[in-house]
Amino acid sequence: MDDQTPQNGTRQVHVHFSTNFPDIELPEGKRQLLVPTDVRRYQLSQILNSESMLDTPAPIPFDFLINGTFLRTTLDEYLTANGLSSETTLNLQYVRSLIPPLYEASFEHDDWVSCVDVLSKSSPAGSWGNGGVIPGQERILSGSYDGLLRVWNKSAQAIATSPSASAGGHTASIKAAKFISPTQIASAGMDRTIRVWKYTEAEDHFSAQLKPTLELYGHKGYIHSIDVHGPSNRILTASQDDKIGIWTSVASSAPEAPSTLLPSALTSKRRKLSTSTSTPQRGPLSLISAHTAPVQAVIFNPLDPTVAYSCGQDHTVRTFDLTTSRNVDTRTTSHPLFSLSALPGISSQLLAAGTTARHITLLDPRVSAQTTQVMTLRGHTNLVSSIAPDPSSNYGLISGSYDGTCRIWDLRSTRHGTKEEGSGIVGESVYVIDREVAKDKKPVGGEGVKVFSVNWDVDLGIVSAGEDKRVQINRGRGVTRPEGV
Amino acid sequence: MAPPTILRKRKAATRDVPESSDVESDAEFGDGLLEGILSQSEDSENDSAEEGSEEEEDEEEDDEELSGLDSDEIPSDEDEEMDDENGGLVKNNGTKADEKDSNVAQPAAEDDEDKPNYRVTTDANGGVRYEYDEIDPVYDSDDSDAPVTTNTIGNIPLSFYDSYPHIGYDINGKKIMRPAKGEALDALLDSIEVPKGWTGLTDPATGKPLNLSQEELEILRRIQANEVPEEGYDPYPATVEYFTGIEEVMPLSAAPEPKRRFLPSKHEAKRVMKIVRAIREGRILPYRPPEEREEEEDEEVHYDIWQDEQPRPEHVMNIPAPKMAPPGYDLSYNPPPEYLPTKAEKQAWESTDPEDREKEYLPTGYDSLRKVPAYDRFIKERFERSLDLYLAPRVRKNRLNIDPASLLPKLPRPEELKPFPTVCSTLFRGHEGRVRSLALDPSGTWLASGGDDGTVRVWEASTGRQIWSAKIGDEDAVDAVRWRPGREAVILSAAAGEDIYLIVPPIMDPETETISRELVDAGFGYATNATQPLTANGQRKDPVAKWARPGSRLEDEGVLLKITVRTTVKVISWHRRGDFFSTVSPTAQRSAVAIHTLSKHLTQIPFRRLPGLPQTVQFHPSRPLFFVATQRTIRSYDLQKQELVKIIQPGARWISSFDIHPGGDNLIVGSYDRRLLWHDLDLSTRPYKTMRFHQKAIRAVKYHKGGFPLFADASDDGSLQIFHGKVVGDMMENATIVPVKVLKGHKVKNALGVMDIDWHPREPWCVSAGADGTCRLWM
Repeated sequence: MDDQTPQNGTRQVHVHFSTNFPDIELPEGKRQLLVPTDVRRYQLSQILNSESMLDTPAPIPFDFLINGTFLRTTLDEYLTANGLSSETTLNLQYVRSLIPPLYEASFEHDDWVSCVDVLSKSSPAGSWGNGGVIPGQERILSGSYDGLLRVWNKSAQAIATSPSASAGGHTASIKAAKFISPTQIASAGMDRTIRVWKYTEAEDHFSAQLKPTLELYGHKGYIHSIDVHGPSNRILTASQDDKIGIWTSVASSAPEAPSTLLPSALTSKRRKLSTSTSTPQRGPLSLISAHTAPVQAVIFNPLDPTVAYSCGQDHTVRTFDLTTSRNVDTRTTSHPLFSLSALPGISSQLLAAGTTARHITLLDPRVSAQTTQVMTLRGHTNLVSSIAPDPSSNYGLISGSYDGTCRIWDLRSTRHGTKEEGSGIVGESVYVIDREVAKDKKPVGGEGVKVFSVNWDVDLGIVSAGEDKRVQINRGRGVTRPEGV
Repeated sequence: MAPPTILRKRKAATRDVPESSDVESDAEFGDGLLEGILSQSEDSENDSAEEGSEEEEDEEEDDEELSGLDSDEIPSDEDEEMDDENGGLVKNNGTKADEKDSNVAQPAAEDDEDKPNYRVTTDANGGVRYEYDEIDPVYDSDDSDAPVTTNTIGNIPLSFYDSYPHIGYDINGKKIMRPAKGEALDALLDSIEVPKGWTGLTDPATGKPLNLSQEELEILRRIQANEVPEEGYDPYPATVEYFTGIEEVMPLSAAPEPKRRFLPSKHEAKRVMKIVRAIREGRILPYRPPEEREEEEDEEVHYDIWQDEQPRPEHVMNIPAPKMAPPGYDLSYNPPPEYLPTKAEKQAWESTDPEDREKEYLPTGYDSLRKVPAYDRFIKERFERSLDLYLAPRVRKNRLNIDPASLLPKLPRPEELKPFPTVCSTLFRGHEGRVRSLALDPSGTWLASGGDDGTVRVWEASTGRQIWSAKIGDEDAVDAVRWRPGREAVILSAAAGEDIYLIVPPIMDPETETISRELVDAGFGYATNATQPLTANGQRKDPVAKWARPGSRLEDEGVLLKITVRTTVKVISWHRRGDFFSTVSPTAQRSAVAIHTLSKHLTQIPFRRLPGLPQTVQFHPSRPLFFVATQRTIRSYDLQKQELVKIIQPGARWISSFDIHPGGDNLIVGSYDRRLLWHDLDLSTRPYKTMRFHQKAIRAVKYHKGGFPLFADASDDGSLQIFHGKVVGDMMENATIVPVKVLKGHKVKNALGVMDIDWHPREPWCVSAGADGTCRLWM
């Protein structure tokens, strides 16, 4: 290793390779290396993959972290930028590189697709179920503006469709739907109701049934977002009427529905869509009116189901204690917030909130935290409608926006923001996923390409839905985790 | 004690005796000799040698003094001095006065000018005795040189008294006791606390420590400082002009002119003759031949004073001649193309003042030399040159060198005024043909729009999803859509043709829908009971408006009420309480402006006659005022008192729209003649600010009503302009108006761009309706 003689003029620097993944760890003696300073990530990755080092059967692309940030320049430029001499030993942590997520499939719908959820072994709903999910039988749930829920298998077949409005389905567009368990689905939308469905699959897994089991009334405005917690049968909703609803999916334990909000309250002929099927109609466990403007998203704390976070158009992110239905903490940002997601992997749990000002704000929701805004992720050109965490990395997340793109972010890929951006730490997206129907097109106002919902699953990849009436699946296999692990 | 005294005297008088002479040498001079020297040296004016006795000499001197006293003062001074000295002698040597009597007496006698200062008496022995007057120590008499006669022991060394307690005797014969010498300690103290003027010496005369007096110290200081020792001595006194240097004009002599002045000079005649002879002989030519002079005139000699100038180092005294720049390529008749100015440069050169131009010429290219035209600046240049030669002063345009940027008012940068809408976030596409009007509902959830296709559509504002639509105008376009203010009910009003529709779109929850429906239907019954006014003929007058159900097809869709008026309604404007709304049908003669009461289903015509065609109306946001805009003016009426309050004259030719600031004191007016005018209602009827930023007519103006200091206008050029317009509570301060953003995107169709505009009730977002059939949400 040290026998490499310095070639004419190129400086060399000592590097020390390390990794957190035991399967790609270098033997003890090979970790120190003298490399020329003009190498970039690609050359370093080649060095690591070479026979004398890891000797991998197929080359694994690596990314290199120095001091927790990705190396995006040559080593020389890094040394210059940080004022280091070439005498120092650089500690290079290598991780498997993110591979550009490749387009896999599109599931076509009749109308705009507003929401998408995934049932897989590793998804929350999959883990809550009793039997679990058979590998290969992952399901994708989509809710559409035509008021129908659809459950898809991996081969783009809609194996179940919810009944129409007259048969007990949603009377207006669905805006949010989630698997509560492998056999239960909750959905809500512009008809201001939450419906709980029983999902039963046939033995051959090629057909299934969606049967409404419960209708929940209480909101006076559109329901924008829904989150579920399977073990406690709790449903959280965020509504246009500034309220957050706490509901239960068990009919017996739910209170009576408020009569004025039932569709039968309206004696209009037009509204005589009265459900022939007698689905039980129930009310909310609690309605919290803490927000002063429409609530756009609400989520359970993934680590603690008694805590919920919400964000809304009143620029705030609020923390709720669900046992007492109390607003515990309020963080005010400077823009209306349209989406929210928790990043539980990081030791200090972070919330990522998508704003109408086209960026994602990372917030520390802990009461003790001094700074409200940790980081800003910039890159979208329209409001951020949906955020999902990377299921396999502690630092990754994906966001969907009305600009028709999904962007993958790595919190380690940061820089210091310019003054115009309000300084602070600014992150930039690692990859951009366009809608397959409108590649390289940038319609004004995101017309026809808006992404309404995005989900990231270990088994299925990145699932996104939008105004193009499709659920698009992009496979980032090996993006953040090793193949076959 | 005498010898030092004499020494001093001599020093003062003669100045040529060396100072080093000591006591012994002094003693060698006899008194008489001394006096002689004195008199000789001083009275040097007396040419006569004085060989006679001293007395004679003195007498003579005396006489001379008496005679020449007036003319010459210096000798007398000297005499006096000498006299004083002698006087001092008398005093000093009182004991030996006798032997020197005669010696002393005469000088003393000199002193007095008129009479001798002694009386001659007889002494005890019968001899002559001179009794002198007491010397009056007048101002002039300087006694300072006389030593203090303290010890009268005579000329004996003090050491003789060493063994005695006294050191001599005073003038009264009393013993002068030796001053007590201090103990060793005192001596030490003395040596430590050196008194002023301490010398460390003992005065031999008194035995006391010899200390220098203040004057002596001062003299020493002056000597050390290289100054003249004498105090108050002015080394440079002002000169006194004793003799004048001015020559008198008047001749002193009256002698007649000498003869030679009149006689011609022979010498001159000789010289003239010499010249004459030379001229005759042709040796001197009296004039030059004229042809020669002409030649000389022709070839003027020009001197180039900088001809052989050597380059010299830069210096203040050497200003080098200005160097003419050698002609460059751009002066060529056919310069290379890169030297030729572009169109923009040409324009810039032509637009600048001739004085400000960097170059006086524009490089121009000609294919060949023969195409080069005459030098057009020739006359001008010659004229300037002539003026230069005449040193003609010309008025130079005095340009103030002011940075134009500094004259602009200090406006905050648009970035600092965020937030304001910047990009199109959502596009609402669905209308066929123009979208004529749009409105965001009071909660900001829904966007209602109406257009040429006769439909009213309701969209979800954030996503751009169309939720509801109804075709209300079969033939007519929907000209206006407005939501009823207030969040308790959701009622949409739309105007198509002569009909105004009140709509409760089935998009909200049953509770709100019920309330809304009840509000719309509440007036049924009133309208039928209302008595219709009778015309002169006794027939029932046509009601100004008919309130009715629109028919079951529309009713099923949520259109609950139809109000039919006489002519096409163009504008709907709601009162903030949501019970009244006003409509404008500009083509109607008298019933152009109608006010409708929702709760009673009642339509009233408030104005019987309006000056001009009404364009739009608006209720004041807080006071019972009603604004009506005609083509030229905006009138505000008090609805309670039924009177005209104010006439605002924006100065626009044709007002298209106006809006009242939510504060109620300001107004913006948009006009078809491209102007946007800001009015301060308290200030004047004339606009406070006029903005002309659009290429085409302004269709709509709107204030943000949710707390942001923003307003926007929509123009036919397809753009919206967002302004920051901050109104401060302070009456003294004017509103700050800063244009912050131009939003472009709407396409211009048939010379129509953006038709209507509205703001989100809370956020700094705006929506616009375009003639291209789209609505856009900007955030």
